[in-house]
Amino acid sequence: MLRVAIPERANWKRKAEEFGFKFHTMHGEAYWDESAYYQFSLEQIEKDLEAPTEDIHQMCLAVVDKVVNSEKLLEKFQIPKHFWQQISDSWKNQDPSLYSRLDFAYHGKGPAKLYENNADTPTSLYESGFWQWLWLEEQVNAGKIAKQADQFNSLQEKLVHRLAVIAKHYDIKQMHFACCQDTDEDRGTVQYLQDCAKEAGLDNDFVFIEDIGLAECGSFSDLQDNKIQTLFKLYPWEFMQREEFGQSIKSAQVNWLEPIWKSILSNKALMPMLWKLFPNHPNLLPAYFEDELAKATETKLVKKPIFSREGANISVIENGKTVLHADGPYGEEGFIYQAYYPLPQFGNNHTLIGSWLVNDQAAGISLREDSSPITQDMSRYLPHIIL
Amino acid sequence: MQSNKIKRSKSINLSSMRKSFSVKPLALGVAAIFLSACGDKQEAEVFTSVNDCTDANPEFAEKCKTAYEDAVREAERTGPKYDSQRDCESEFGNNQCRVVQRESGSFFMPFMAGYMLSNLMSPRGYYSQPMFTSYSRNSSYRNRWIGADGYDFGDNRRRTMKVSEKSLKPKPTVTKTMSRGGFGSSVRAKSSWGNSSKKGGWGG
Repeated sequence: MLRVAIPERANWKRKAEEFGFKFHTMHGEAYWDESAYYQFSLEQIEKDLEAPTEDIHQMCLAVVDKVVNSEKLLEKFQIPKHFWQQISDSWKNQDPSLYSRLDFAYHGKGPAKLYENNADTPTSLYESGFWQWLWLEEQVNAGKIAKQADQFNSLQEKLVHRLAVIAKHYDIKQMHFACCQDTDEDRGTVQYLQDCAKEAGLDNDFVFIEDIGLAECGSFSDLQDNKIQTLFKLYPWEFMQREEFGQSIKSAQVNWLEPIWKSILSNKALMPMLWKLFPNHPNLLPAYFEDELAKATETKLVKKPIFSREGANISVIENGKTVLHADGPYGEEGFIYQAYYPLPQFGNNHTLIGSWLVNDQAAGISLREDSSPITQDMSRYLPHIIL
Repeated sequence: MQSNKIKRSKSINLSSMRKSFSVKPLALGVAAIFLSACGDKQEAEVFTSVNDCTDANPEFAEKCKTAYEDAVREAERTGPKYDSQRDCESEFGNNQCRVVQRESGSFFMPFMAGYMLSNLMSPRGYYSQPMFTSYSRNSSYRNRWIGADGYDFGDNRRRTMKVSEKSLKPKPTVTKTMSRGGFGSSVRAKSSWGNSSKKGGWGG
């Protein structure tokens, strides 16, 4: 695993405009950064990232199976009682899932360590599935990167295929897609999935989360009063379950993407549960619920809210003292603790690997760099190659 | 365990991923009736002039002419508009743009390169829309048929194509929406938190 400097493509910003990649620069700071790339060997990819990603996914499904059948655990996972039955039904019906992203700390050798599972609303999908793919294609064509270079990135191919499978499962020809207002990044991610759905032969309609309506017959509707039959929502289940329309989720009978059983995976309580079920697994870090912190033998721990996004409200605790803290609006539902394990550093950059799954298949990676050891929403995205 | 399999998507259809002109026009066309991706595909043909259309459809000479006139009007109304000749020519090629005067000022538009016709013989009426093409080496639209909003219809040597018509069947419509805004309150609450949350997204 190397970090290699490379000249940027001269016209990339114009290309970005042309392809509708609007969030390459956010708040005046670069988000997409092609001044360098990461280089992996095929063995590093296949042995250290691809295989563990699929294994961990299966371990996560084992956790879901355990949690849906235990009221005590559902409580620990802070899932409102009203949704227990729906989650259990959705799991037992095997409602199909679309995608997830596992975040790893990986130093180029040894086992990659799982930080968390973004199983409900992962972003950086467009940058990964399409934009870094195009970057490699163009840099190879320009002779800047060796012709035999590859990339661990079959995301787009797999997403298109998976959407077609899901459409067949539900016997549908159309899907609705939703995200919140006022965010180019989320809108871009959802547009990408709409493009993939189109490629899969599906009609697609968009509605903002805030514009979703509740209709007379109990269904949800878009702004044209069309019934929402299938909805991809880039909006966390834990929010929806606590909002006004949450009570209507059951009667609305929507085919949800992600399905509601993913509430259990996009939840940091997953981490201590994994450690309980698969203790000492080489890809896991020791993790504890708040009430079993006495068991922790580590001197340095990371404290994470049960629900949080983008590194918010994460603290690093050493011998009981907070040594590093990221602010944020989360934490009211409690915290979990995970053994501290540093990200690899390349120069001043701390590098996090996101490893994608489309359903249960490993589908590629994305790399984010941050100047802080806690990767937050303004970390930069860099492309990678296999050589 | 190393495989010889390629680890990335084998191919991606770039033209379907494109969202707009590389130099953003001042004004864009409204997506024409053909532009939806799926549904029932139907035959459409591109003609480069009225004669081109009449030669192929001698019995519909009158319709060829009116369809052409419709497309010209539509081109003027919805075609890409630029505030400089340079921007326009960068996308469409040297000498491919004309100046258009309006009360609001003058701007530059590419010449209409042809018009797309479908359902010419249908008693329900035909559809027509203006087609543009690019001669610029800088443009990814070079030698492509493109619609007023930048939709790529393919290689401009091709004259007939299957285009999709938004299925005109009405979608299932719910009787009445009783209320809106029941989702999204958490994002409002969390967004109002401090300034260090630099964006409003809730992906992770």
